[in-house]
Parts: sequence; C-alpha cells; structure tokens
Amino acid sequence: MVMKILRYIGCCCICALALIACNPKSEVPNPSKGELDLTTVLYIGDGQMGGYMNDGLTKENQVNSLANILATQLTCLGVQPANVPFLDASSIGISVNGLAPFHLGYKTDCKGVSGLSPVRDASTGDISCLTQNIFQSAHPFDVFGIPGLKLNQFTNTNLSATNAFFQRMSSSSSACVMNELMSRNASFFQLYIGLEDVLDYAKSGGTHATLPSELEFQQYYEQLLFNLTFHGAKGVVATLPDVSQMPYFTTIPWNGLSLDAANSGTLNSIYNPLGFYFQEGSNPFMMVDSSANVFAVRQIHDDELLLLSLPLDSVKCNQMGVLFPIRDEFVLDSEELNFLRNKIDAYNAIIRDLAQQYHLALVNTDQFINKLSDGFVYNGVSMSAKFVSGGAYSLDGIYLNPRGNALFANEFIKAINLKYHSTIPQVNALKYDGIRFP
Amino acid sequence: MKSLTNILTLSLTILCAVYAYGQGFQVNFQGQKQQGMGCAGTALYTDASTLFFNPGAAAFANKSEINLATTPIFATVHYTDSATQQTFTTQNPVGTPFSAYGLYRFKNKLEPLSAGLAIYTPFGSTVQWEPNWIGRFALTRLSLKAIFIQPTFSYRISERFGIGGGFVLSHGSVNLQKDIPVQDSLGNYGHAELAGKALGFGYNLGVLYQVNHRFSIGATYRSKVSMAVSDGQASFSVPSSLASNFPNGPFSAALPLPSVLTVGMSFEPSDKWKFVLDINHVDWKAYDTLAFDYAQNTSSLSDTKSARNYKSIFAFRGGASYSPNSKLVIRCGGGFGFTPVQSGFVTPETPDANRLYGTFGMSYLFNAHFSLDASFYATKLTRTDKNMESQLNGTFRTIALAPGISLNYKW
Repeated sequence: MVMKILRYIGCCCICALALIACNPKSEVPNPSKGELDLTTVLYIGDGQMGGYMNDGLTKENQVNSLANILATQLTCLGVQPANVPFLDASSIGISVNGLAPFHLGYKTDCKGVSGLSPVRDASTGDISCLTQNIFQSAHPFDVFGIPGLKLNQFTNTNLSATNAFFQRMSSSSSACVMNELMSRNASFFQLYIGLEDVLDYAKSGGTHATLPSELEFQQYYEQLLFNLTFHGAKGVVATLPDVSQMPYFTTIPWNGLSLDAANSGTLNSIYNPLGFYFQEGSNPFMMVDSSANVFAVRQIHDDELLLLSLPLDSVKCNQMGVLFPIRDEFVLDSEELNFLRNKIDAYNAIIRDLAQQYHLALVNTDQFINKLSDGFVYNGVSMSAKFVSGGAYSLDGIYLNPRGNALFANEFIKAINLKYHSTIPQVNALKYDGIRFP
Repeated sequence: MKSLTNILTLSLTILCAVYAYGQGFQVNFQGQKQQGMGCAGTALYTDASTLFFNPGAAAFANKSEINLATTPIFATVHYTDSATQQTFTTQNPVGTPFSAYGLYRFKNKLEPLSAGLAIYTPFGSTVQWEPNWIGRFALTRLSLKAIFIQPTFSYRISERFGIGGGFVLSHGSVNLQKDIPVQDSLGNYGHAELAGKALGFGYNLGVLYQVNHRFSIGATYRSKVSMAVSDGQASFSVPSSLASNFPNGPFSAALPLPSVLTVGMSFEPSDKWKFVLDINHVDWKAYDTLAFDYAQNTSSLSDTKSARNYKSIFAFRGGASYSPNSKLVIRCGGGFGFTPVQSGFVTPETPDANRLYGTFGMSYLFNAHFSLDASFYATKLTRTDKNMESQLNGTFRTIALAPGISLNYKW
C-alpha cells in the first residue's frame, strides 16, 4: 500500500516537473552574419553617420553616432569595435561653424519671457579639438562620418584645407576621402551620403543653388560604389529623406503672427490696398516675394515653411514678419519646396537603381522619416518628428539624437538582414538618450 | 513658438491587475483540498473553505470548522523582445495569498442552518520588472492587494438539497509604477507612481444537489465586484522644467472583477475515491476599458481610456482524491483555461495565455478534530504578442509554482 502511494505521488511530481522543465530562456535564436564578410567594416557618410547632433560634434555624440551604434551591435557577432576618430572626451566640441553645441536650457527673449530653448554650451566651440591630426597608419579609422561631407567631395584632394573634421583624421594633407576608403579594402560598408547636398539648399531657404544635377548625382554615387565594391565588398546604402519634414523646417508655424484688434486694424490699413487682410488672432507672416507685387511682399501660404534660423527676437519685438517681411533665406516657398522634393525623389530613384545594380542592401530613409513624421510608439514611448518633444531629433532640428540614431540603425539592420540573410539583433533604442531636460 | 506643449502624452494605461495565477483574476487558491484536485470542488463539501467554493454545499457540513491556509506563489516572467532578442525577467517578491474560514453548524431546531465567515485574498501579488527593462515605460511595478470578507448563510432545504449565499465586501490597494520617457540633465528618467485604495461589493450564491449518495451536482454564481479607486494619489518625479506638466494629485479609476458562473459535479465510486469536475464561465467582457481620471489635467497628463477588450472565457478543472486509509488522503488534478486577453492586448502586467496546469495534494488527519492539508500547483505559459498600444512585441514566458498548506479544526 505504501509503495502504491509513493508511486502515485511520484507520478504527480513527474507531471508537475514536466510542466515546468523547459528553461524559458532557451528559445532565443543566435545572431548570425549570414552571407556577410565582416573582416573590415567601414562606415561612410556625413555628420549624420559620424555623430553630429545638437549642432556639434563631441566624443559623447560620436559614441552615440549611427556608425558607432551599428558597429557596437556587430560586436555580438564577434566583430571588433570600430576605430572611431574620437574627439577628446574633455572637449565641449564644435559645430561646423565653430560654435559650441546646443543643450536644452532656459533663454530669456526680448520681451523678458524665460522659456526652454536650445542654448549653446559656451560662447564659442572648442576650435583646438580639431587642430591635431590623429591619424595612425597602424590603426586606420573605420568610421568616415565627416560633418559637412558632400557627394562631390570624395575625390577632392583639397578637402583637408576646408574641412577640419576630415583634416584631423586624414593620412596626409593632400589625401582625398576616396583614397582613404580604398586603402582600407573594406569587406562590408555602410553608406549614408547625399544629405548635406540637399541640406545646403534647404537650410539656405533655397538661396544656395548648389543642388547637383541628376546626372552629377548619378555619376558621383556610382563612382563611389564602383570603387567600394571593386574587390567584392558587400554593403548597405540609404535613400535620402524629405528634409522639409525635419523640425528645422516645421517648428515655426506659417500663421504664427498673433494680433490683437488694434494691431490687426493698423495692419489692415497698411496692407489692404495690396490685397492682404488681417484678423484678430493668428495670421500668416509677411514675407519677401519679388514676383508678388511692386513692393515684393506677400503673406506666406500654409504650405510654405519658415526655418528655425529665423531670428525670433526680431519677430517678437522688431516687427519682422509684419512691417519688415521675412527674407527669402528664412523661407522655403512652394516653388522651392517642389523643386527640392522633386530633386530628392530623383536622387532616391538613382540610389535605388544603383543599390540593385551593385547588389546592395537598401535602407528606405525616406519611409523611416515619413513614419517618424506620422508618429509611432516604440515600446511604450511616443516618437515623432516634433521639435524637442518628439524625442528623435537633436536640438539642431536636423540631425537625429542618440535615440533617433538607434531607431535609424535598426532600419540599417533590418535592411542588412533582409539582403544578406543575417540575423543581427536590433538595438534597444531606449538605452539611448532622447532629449535631456533641465 | 518653441513652447514645449504636448511634451509626451503620458498614457497611464495600466492597472489591469496581477491576474497571473488563475485565468484572469480567478485565483482559485482558496482551499487546499480543492487545489489538490485541480482547483475544482464546487459539487463537494470539503471543509470550511466550501464557503468560498459553494455556499450551497456548505449546508452539508456536519461539524463546525475553522480552516486557515496560505499558498505562497513563486512566479517568474521572462520577456524576450522580438527585435533585440534581449530577455528581461521579473523580480517578483513571493506572493502570499491566505484564507481564513469559520463555519458554525447550528444545532437542534436550527439544524439545517450553517453560518460562516470567509476571508480570502484573490489578489496578493506583485509584478516587479528588472530595472531598465525594455517595457519600463509601460510598467515597472504593479502591486495589487485585495481582501474579500464574506459573511455567509447556508440552508439545507432537504436531505439532498442545499442553498447558500454570502455578501462580499472587498477592500484593496493598488500601487502602480512606471518610468516616464523624459530625462533630466543627467539622463535619469522620470517616474510615475499611482497609489490608492479600492472598495467593492458583491455576492456569492450557490446550490448543491445530491442526486444520490455517490453523485452530486452544484452551481455557484460569484457576482462582479467593481473595485473603485476614488482617493488615488498620483506622484510624478520629472525634471524640474517639466514639473508643471505632471502635477501630483488625486486620480480615480475603477477595475471590474468579473462574475464567475460555475457548474460542477462530484462522483464517489467508492469510499476511497472521489472525482470532481468544474466548468467556469468568467464574464471577462466586463473588462472592456481601463480609464484613469486625473483631478488635474495638463497637455502632458490627460485622462486616459485604454481598450482592454477582454473576452468572456470558459475554464475546465478536474481532479481526484484517493484515501488509502482513514488518516491519509492524496489528491491529483489539473485544469485548462482559455485566456481572456485577446491578441494585441497582452500587457506586462497580464502576460496571460491559454493555461494548462497541474496540481497535487494530500491531507493528514491527526485525530477527529485536527487535520492538515498540503497542495502544490505548477504552471508554465507562453504568449507571443504585439501590444497595439505600447507596441511591445515579444514573448512572455511565465512559470508559477505555488505550494500551499492549511490547518483545520472541527468540533
């Protein structure tokens, strides 16, 4: 009888153990590199690749760059960390214009109102951080994310003289980026280039007529891919976003002119003869348009964009946008926007064709940025393209912040996994900073 | 123009409950003998815990009884994020549901009548996720405690037919915490804590019919209990520049605990063997929306209405007991329940799934008055889902073990 009971209890124990026996941690697939050869991986692009954010480069920004996030994720496949041309950790960093990077702080405007705003870390950037050349032939760099780098500058042997970010990492003062890349003989490359070409036009409010023609764009891009793949390297390339969706172009509302009854009355008496009308409440700003009338002014339209470079104190206190129309350099008008967007579409068609022709993985940056503009939720966190509160763009309103970079890096990883049958895990973007508030 | 309106809508969408150890909230850890038999026993008088399982069956008590029990719950949830393949684990403290039952059997003229008091804790657990886990902005910790007090009367209408009913007063507390995705100048994230006490009322009705001396059928209806948090306190720790967006202050919320209809049967083929089977219908449809109403709203803190869309479900429980001699009883059982949580609605506080579990147990009778019961419950469940609200996309794997013990005294 006792044996029977013991047997019975034993049977129950086995049942219970069988229910819980499987280790719940054992069901995760191992990362694999698929068809990739990760002997030498290069990261190529402009500031967006190299960690330029908050209108500046610092070592911390470089650590949180698209390139370094991607490189760090590859270490789970046994790849060594990338050799990044880091700035000194103690340096406050520098912008492409020699200014100090932004942080979010309090700023008092011309009306004495204090509010949160991007504020420069110091009165000037740390110019000395770029002066020393840090190239070492024994430890060549893997990350060529050079702030300001344009597509037509890869073969420019004078670039060192005009771009201090390149100068400090180049092997000689007459080196060009292309030769530096070729000497590395990459087995795999991650490329995101062309953004600066587009931004130059957009950030100037369409006053810099520097957009390359489709033919030029195609030739420069193909030359780059031809050289990079010459020895059989695989790679990933990325299309360009509609930059006009960036907060730099979307934060200041076209109808941000707020008027009381008296002011709107005054303006009506001035502008009604030209056919412009004002009301109490929000109104369109006045802008310069040489084709509008003899006075070359008109109201801005709802589909036109004001740039973040607009001097807001002049708007608030000195009648800019009212009696003094906003100058062309602060506006992307409908015509300029059409031109810009058509160019970007054309460039993207070229990038897509070349990716196919050279059998490369393709990141649809345009779709990623569209998704960000629509807004989405990532593991319980709302992300959008809104300035500051959106959580993905840095304080310059153009370059992504660390979390934005991590989300963008995941687009690269997805594209690579799809093309080369690898299973590189995505990055946990919540481990990377969004915006820090005081 | 650069004013920071709309700085992140804090969707405090949680509170849904630590429903981790029964289908939904139905923690059937209210009686050790029933736990030994797959948590079934609606059509059986076992001991004073019958006050919970079927007030009608309690009419068949032939002695007065006191029953005290506890069932520590050891539960761990692993979450594997599908995109990063990283796994995160809960660090739950041991849950300690307890129950205390007293049943008085009237004598003489009032003999068909029994009166009892049942005190039990259908919640009593805490979900605590590891620090910095990927779902920290959905939930970091949820502690939900409730104690149900149920005075009960049972009446034996005839030799074979008993009815009973009890009024349920429930008092509970909730503490819900999560991180807020705003960082201070050092990079530390904000944190929200919602704490409050809840009060609810309900009832528990049951009937038992002994078809013959071997076969009984029973039915119970435990009503919906709406737990209302009226005096909750929301506290936020955020960077000072955002403090006005997240004002500390009162909130109110309500959590419905659904009604449960159970039919059960018991069969005693011999004096040594008993078999029981219960079928539950849980009206989870009551849990349609979880709403939070903050006394003070701001651009970042608005009242939330979060779809839960639970569906009503069936659960099946069964077990057997075997008594080799007059001192010893051994039991074994198991059950299966469908999950009320539909695809797209799985959350870190309710990583629920269709559930299969096994139990066993035993009793030892020291003498005519005093006896001891023990039981053991084990389950493992896996649920892969992408939550539509938080977009958390991964697999939850839960293991729960619950050994229980109770002491009985009858006279």
